[in-house]
Amino acid sequence: MDLDVETTQRGDASILTLRGEIDVYTAPRLRQSIVDLVDGGSRRIIVDMEKVDFLDSTGLGVLVEGLKRVKTREGELAIVATHDKILKIFDITGLNKAFPIHATVDEAFQEAAPSA
Amino acid sequence: MTDGSSGSLLPSDPELDLSVPPKPEYVRTVRHTVGALARLHGVPEDVIEDIKLAVSEASTTALAVNAALSIPEPIEVRAWAAAAIMVLEVLDGGPGPAKEILGDPEELDTGDLPFEKALSLPLIRGLVDEVALGPRPGGGSSLRMTVSLQPEG
Repeated sequence: MDLDVETTQRGDASILTLRGEIDVYTAPRLRQSIVDLVDGGSRRIIVDMEKVDFLDSTGLGVLVEGLKRVKTREGELAIVATHDKILKIFDITGLNKAFPIHATVDEAFQEAAPSA
Repeated sequence: MTDGSSGSLLPSDPELDLSVPPKPEYVRTVRHTVGALARLHGVPEDVIEDIKLAVSEASTTALAVNAALSIPEPIEVRAWAAAAIMVLEVLDGGPGPAKEILGDPEELDTGDLPFEKALSLPLIRGLVDEVALGPRPGGGSSLRMTVSLQPEG
């Protein structure tokens, strides 16, 4: 399975819905999508990984790069993931402390919403 | 003839001996092939996922090493399976032990590959029971991983 990246807008949040496998071959596509969003003015990015079958350190590196990129513009990048095989990778690398990780897009959207 | 270095009797010849071009699109082929072998041996699905990720990480590292050194030779992946363990070995053309996986990022130009060296080895170590970095006979580097298939407890 390849990687499918779909971008939708919800309020002021950009939601990246990923389907497939993220590795050294497909990660550049994810990186470009994040770069495009940030360069296009997005400051709240939610990466939905519920339909991701495989994630490696290359994909993690791209997410870290995206987090740094959006944070330099005072933005936020949150992850949506519930499957053990994905959460385990964040846990082993300690990146569960770097990213806000949520169970649903709704939860991430509400959590990341700026206070009025 | 067997290899007892990993604490179990393994055949000297690997059950899987795979060579793939050092290109990103082949890493997927490697992990799915290794996953299929593990499934053939009845390895539980959660352990198969760990094995696939570990071999994918090692293959990505080997790919980056070969790319950085402009080595066109294939990445080699070998696997041995026994009742209690599975051993995976990934071989690249790097000089000596696979220090690049740990080394200074400035020493290794991976071009357009978004390779994250700092995360790869900790991830591998979190997934498998033993990791050994060493020289490859005849030149190059070897990353050997051992996974216990014994249920915990």
